[in-house]
Amino acid sequence: MAMKIGEKPFFDRVDDALEDGFMRNAMAKAQDGLRGRKLNATVGDEQIGDWEEWRSAGEEIRRHTLENLDFYLDQLSENFARQGGHVYFAETAEDATRYIQEVAKKKNAKKITKAKSMVTEEIGLNEALEEIGCEVYETDLAEYILQIDDHDRPSHIVVPSLHKNKEQIRDTFRDKANYTGTSEPRELTAFARSQLRETFMEADIGVTGCNFAVAESGTISLVTNEGNANMVTTFPETQITVMGMERLVPTWNELDVMINLLSRSAVGQKITTYVTNLTPQLEEDSIDAPKEFHLVILDAGRSNALGTEFQSALHCIRCAACVNVCPVYRHIGGHAYGSIYQGPIGAVLSPILGGYEEYGELPYASSLCAACTEACPVKIPLHEHLIKHRENYVEKIGMTGEKMAMKTFGIGVSSPALFKLAVKGMPAVLGPLVKDNSITSGPGPMKLWTSVRKFPAPGKDNFRNWFNDRAKGRE
Amino acid sequence: MTAGTIHNKDQFLNKITSQLGSERNRQAGLPEWQHRPQLDVFSGASVNELAAAFKKNSLEKSTFVVNTDRTNLAEALQEVIKKYGGGQVVASKDSRFGEFGLDAVLDNGETHIWDINRGLENIEIAKKANIGLFISDAALAESGTIVQFNDKDIARSISLLPTVYVAIVPKSTIVPRMTQVVQAVHQSVEEGNNLATCINFISGPSNSADIEMNIVIGVHGPVEAVHVIVEDL
Amino acid sequence: MKVSLFITCLSEMFYQNAAKDVVEVLERLDCEVDFPKGQICCGQPAYNSGYRKDAKKAAKQMIASFEASEYIVTPSGSCAAMFKEYPQLLKDEGEWHERAKKVADKTYEFTQFIVNILKVEDLGATYPAKATYHTSCHMTRLLHEKEAPFRLLKNVRGLELLPLQNNYDCCGFGGTFAVKMAPISEQMVDEKIRHIEESTANVLIAADNGCMMNIKGRIDRKGKAIEVKHIAQILNTRVEGRV
Repeated sequence: MAMKIGEKPFFDRVDDALEDGFMRNAMAKAQDGLRGRKLNATVGDEQIGDWEEWRSAGEEIRRHTLENLDFYLDQLSENFARQGGHVYFAETAEDATRYIQEVAKKKNAKKITKAKSMVTEEIGLNEALEEIGCEVYETDLAEYILQIDDHDRPSHIVVPSLHKNKEQIRDTFRDKANYTGTSEPRELTAFARSQLRETFMEADIGVTGCNFAVAESGTISLVTNEGNANMVTTFPETQITVMGMERLVPTWNELDVMINLLSRSAVGQKITTYVTNLTPQLEEDSIDAPKEFHLVILDAGRSNALGTEFQSALHCIRCAACVNVCPVYRHIGGHAYGSIYQGPIGAVLSPILGGYEEYGELPYASSLCAACTEACPVKIPLHEHLIKHRENYVEKIGMTGEKMAMKTFGIGVSSPALFKLAVKGMPAVLGPLVKDNSITSGPGPMKLWTSVRKFPAPGKDNFRNWFNDRAKGRE
Repeated sequence: MTAGTIHNKDQFLNKITSQLGSERNRQAGLPEWQHRPQLDVFSGASVNELAAAFKKNSLEKSTFVVNTDRTNLAEALQEVIKKYGGGQVVASKDSRFGEFGLDAVLDNGETHIWDINRGLENIEIAKKANIGLFISDAALAESGTIVQFNDKDIARSISLLPTVYVAIVPKSTIVPRMTQVVQAVHQSVEEGNNLATCINFISGPSNSADIEMNIVIGVHGPVEAVHVIVEDL
Repeated sequence: MKVSLFITCLSEMFYQNAAKDVVEVLERLDCEVDFPKGQICCGQPAYNSGYRKDAKKAAKQMIASFEASEYIVTPSGSCAAMFKEYPQLLKDEGEWHERAKKVADKTYEFTQFIVNILKVEDLGATYPAKATYHTSCHMTRLLHEKEAPFRLLKNVRGLELLPLQNNYDCCGFGGTFAVKMAPISEQMVDEKIRHIEESTANVLIAADNGCMMNIKGRIDRKGKAIEVKHIAQILNTRVEGRV
């Protein structure tokens, strides 16, 4: 399954999405609700001063870290291992899953609990573990819902089950887990708690993602609300953490800034309920702490962006602030993107990780309204990355019809005479299509435009003539 | 934990280095940051102002707050335990309980003090406990957060497994925000100390908004939380 | 004050009435308006679609046409924002980079110019209607101009300016997006129109012809009775003391 969602072509996925009234309603409601919460916790919270300063702080920290990624990863791995942890650098998703399978086999693991992690979705870890006979339990409420609904796919990086309503969730619980209660969120949540409580204790391995790793101390920082990540990292004998290689900070001082940006941007909280910072220890003598701690550091295409114009895409801290303001995501939801990374950051990141063949349409699924760029807490110029992708796409893959049109455009705009001619010629070209002072259908791109809207009839006057006459009249 | 290992490091990092057009084994050299808004939050605030903010922000996170002083702490704590239904209490093993004159409160037959020698039995008790009791190591005014440096005695389970967590918050430990705590941790790392295996920032009961963005309090961690602020200056 | 008008291709081809209003308003404010003849399209359609080379051609032509100007004023936030993009677009083109910067620095969107440079907020217009205003994405987010249109509209006599729900959401134009992603664009513009209707306004005012063409096109297609006006048209209506 991994990063890709669904087999249908992009426009079919969009059609499916547009027909899903509940999903679209849920997305709009979620966006509108989160917007207020985020504003209150960011520009609206006088307590923390100027939010723009925080964004600038986040940007400079991320830039420096990525510019020195090799150095900090080296430092992180040495510090993690010095204290007894095991570090595995995984070039590909397959390398990562193979290593984790080996650990699971060595530990003779049967039950595995997991905290929410997009990077483990990306590498298809659940399938890999099930393949060797392990039972894998998602414990984040949203992931739990998706898992018991026959492994439905995430539609949002922070709230993966955003596309489901409480009635659908009740029915899933009823059909798959013998739930007998109502669709009240409180009751549904209590059910998940009771279902997972014993599992947490019985698990042999706990798997997590990584919000940030701290290079100076070899620490893994996890940001959650439900307490499930604490359960996953407290009781099993072995902990395995998978991190995208860019998710680290130099020292604890920078961790502070990033946690603040993440909590407030993602869910409008001053801080998430739990910020859990885990460091391996050689002399681990606690009863309730893992005895073995593995850290898998994943490339899987990320290095494609290093040293290129896309490097700042790796500054992303997965807060989904861009997703939450995207007017395109608002209408098509997450699955239509065909990637577990959706919305603007998904449209930037998916082609970097998975290539243009697979994700080439995504950069076009944006009106370039720049709401994403404005929302990003680490100031990634998301809409500019989308334009850059389009440049690459045109260059490498090409769009024949459009290319011709743009060639014509190129000729037209390089010469004022030709441009004037085009303006002058417009009424003649479009004239035959005009009916009641507008155009309701036409060939080529005009057909696509008029499938939705009318097109204005070209003005009858010539503005340049009017302007000249006016100037002459004054002389 | 046995000695650690690292696999595939050089091959992996060499690729990154070459992509970056850089050279391996250099020092990154942390720059002088141009933007440090974190230093200005609550700068110059008095202890009382910090405590007031801590209280306000705890309440905002659905946490019950009690203010008391050293003399009345034992009584206030007993009241809290009663208010939240009494029953099994599990407490961390912490000499500060004695300093706060709480030994008598804990020695009541219903309180289990974490004892590493009793092994997994501790976890079984914590699982069934109604209340988990501990002393917070630091507290953040900005967000109503308590901080735990967990180890073998101040166990992770205590703030996690029982239905209610009760944190005693010495007023002197309330700082503006996470910034002051990470500065101390950073300094400790610089001095070459080993960190606590779990440094936990906790802000109230566990919760989730995963179902239609409705906030539900009480998921896998505690369902209720109490912060007992103690005048200790 | 000498002002060079960059009228934009959409204005020139389809919205000449609004274009004329722009000229009249500026002249009434004692601007000496000229029209550089070499002007064409700003190149944004090519740039946003990934045709950087073609966009550069347009940019150079525009720079050559406007670099002698004192101020460059255009009735489109989006096209003004494209001028501001020129230095970045031409960053590897030697002297063009500096020339682009000079042009970008003196470029203003129409309302921005009136409020921030001419320091005028009351144009003496009267427009009795219930209206709402469409904040365009490029004007607010790329040009960072969020206030000027509202300051001007506040002083229009008889105009009741109603709030527009979700005014920050894009109308679905996005240049080629409107045709390339037509089904998504359709949903976006429909939601925009729904909010306009909910505002109970009879007139939608905007300062970007692209958005106007999109919203108006959809309003007409759906047979709704909402008028769409460029802000210059409002500001040039029934002006006090005008002969």
